[in-house]
Amino acid sequence: MRAAVTDAGTPFGEQDMTIAASRPIATRMLEIAGLHKTVAVGFRRRKVEILKGVDLEVHDGDVFGLLGPNGAGKTTTLKVVLGLMRPTGGSVALGVSGLSELGYLPENPYFYDYLTGAEFLRFCARLFSIDAHERDRRITAILADVGLQAAAGVQLRKYSKGMLQRIGIAQALINEPRFVLLDEPMTGLDPIGRVEVKEIIQRLRERGTTVLFNSHVLADVAALCTRIAIMRDGRVIWQGAVDEAVSSCPGGDLESFFMQVVRS
Amino acid sequence: MKRVAAVALNTFRETIRDRILGVIILFALAMIVASLWLASISLGQQDRMIKDFGLVAISVFGLIVAAFVAASLVRKEVEKRTVFIIFSKPVSRSEFIWGKFLGLAATMFTVLAGMTVFLFVLAWMVSHSASGSLLLAGLCVFLQLLVVMAMTMLFSTMTSAILASVWGICVYAAGQLSHNVLSLSRVGHSAVAHALSTVVFYLVPNLSAVDLRASVLGEGNHGVAGLLAWSAYLVAYLVIALFAATWIFGRKEF
Repeated sequence: MRAAVTDAGTPFGEQDMTIAASRPIATRMLEIAGLHKTVAVGFRRRKVEILKGVDLEVHDGDVFGLLGPNGAGKTTTLKVVLGLMRPTGGSVALGVSGLSELGYLPENPYFYDYLTGAEFLRFCARLFSIDAHERDRRITAILADVGLQAAAGVQLRKYSKGMLQRIGIAQALINEPRFVLLDEPMTGLDPIGRVEVKEIIQRLRERGTTVLFNSHVLADVAALCTRIAIMRDGRVIWQGAVDEAVSSCPGGDLESFFMQVVRS
Repeated sequence: MKRVAAVALNTFRETIRDRILGVIILFALAMIVASLWLASISLGQQDRMIKDFGLVAISVFGLIVAAFVAASLVRKEVEKRTVFIIFSKPVSRSEFIWGKFLGLAATMFTVLAGMTVFLFVLAWMVSHSASGSLLLAGLCVFLQLLVVMAMTMLFSTMTSAILASVWGICVYAAGQLSHNVLSLSRVGHSAVAHALSTVVFYLVPNLSAVDLRASVLGEGNHGVAGLLAWSAYLVAYLVIALFAATWIFGRKEF
């Protein structure tokens, strides 16, 4: 089953999560074509075009890095894919049947201060209508996966930034999604936290889960990703395999390649 | 329905554990206890003072919770961006709004039930005159505040949390006075004024229709049928307000 949408709809409909239209996308997990998004800002509702025709393909099983300078449109692209924003033009097609097969970690996540880690995950599992027995099994497994078993009963307001990031990843995985979108998962983490998040993404790749993440840390992208796309000013200006990017650059590393593409 | 229950349970847990709520309840209980002092200086009116002052304290502090917590309930989720987490899961906007409302309604019920039972026990200890009407009056305060909560949530989908709280308090005040507007229009002879007053009367929720304070104090009597009819009207009013909130919230992008 495929979730797809064209023009002014979202991939999951407005409110009832029904799938707007269907078209097969073979082994692709995400196919975005000519995506436009214009927003009205300020008192005079001045129109600003954030996305100016984004074309993007994420294959099934990819760990895909979405790169670009601040304001390039990376987060907006993710929000349109998730249905948090409505596109003004273009199309988004997903290789999953709905939000129940997706996981998402927003940038700088904030959670409910007075809930414990386990209560928060239980809440998220309930939103997917996962039954009580399975819920408990998954929560135990995921807390172990992200290394938060000891903090399961602690209220989230007492969590460090790294712990919040890890519980954020845990909530994104509670439904055992086929496609995971992570918005700046390494932001604000210390070196240990970064390694832990990288290990989690590594494990997802081994399980065959498709991962799409935004990051400014190019070393992490080079280490984790199979394919990347580089965005600038609301458009994708390059996409392809990481190996191809690195080998095509005289510097021989992703950072040099990124600078070359962005400055071109 | 499961998702509405999940959001409601989550909201109940968040709001009932909030320290600000604890402070408000403590103040309310202190005010109810203060009615003992007022009773001691009112000759022959102890029973009346405790009940009257106690019910006012419950209404006022309940209103503070209804207006301020309901205003921040949806707004905070948008500003702190927890909505990204919620709406990236198979949860619709209407399930979110209804879940939030029901969760806060459960918190409000717990708070009001605690305060009303406290007042009941106090009245019983002082004058042995507490009756079921006092508990029923507490239930009616709950119904009034549910309407205020629904309207405040509706305002919070359109404006800032502070403005939504202010509008919520205005709805409560107007709801207590709406019957006066109609009575005043009957005094004059202007058809326009009468028509306008009638419109205002039907637009503003008539909260005073379920105010049982006078009954508790032995100054009036509400018929059961009338009370049930007005209760049904207020429930319909809050349901319409929540549908409007859902419609406006459903059009928002994050």
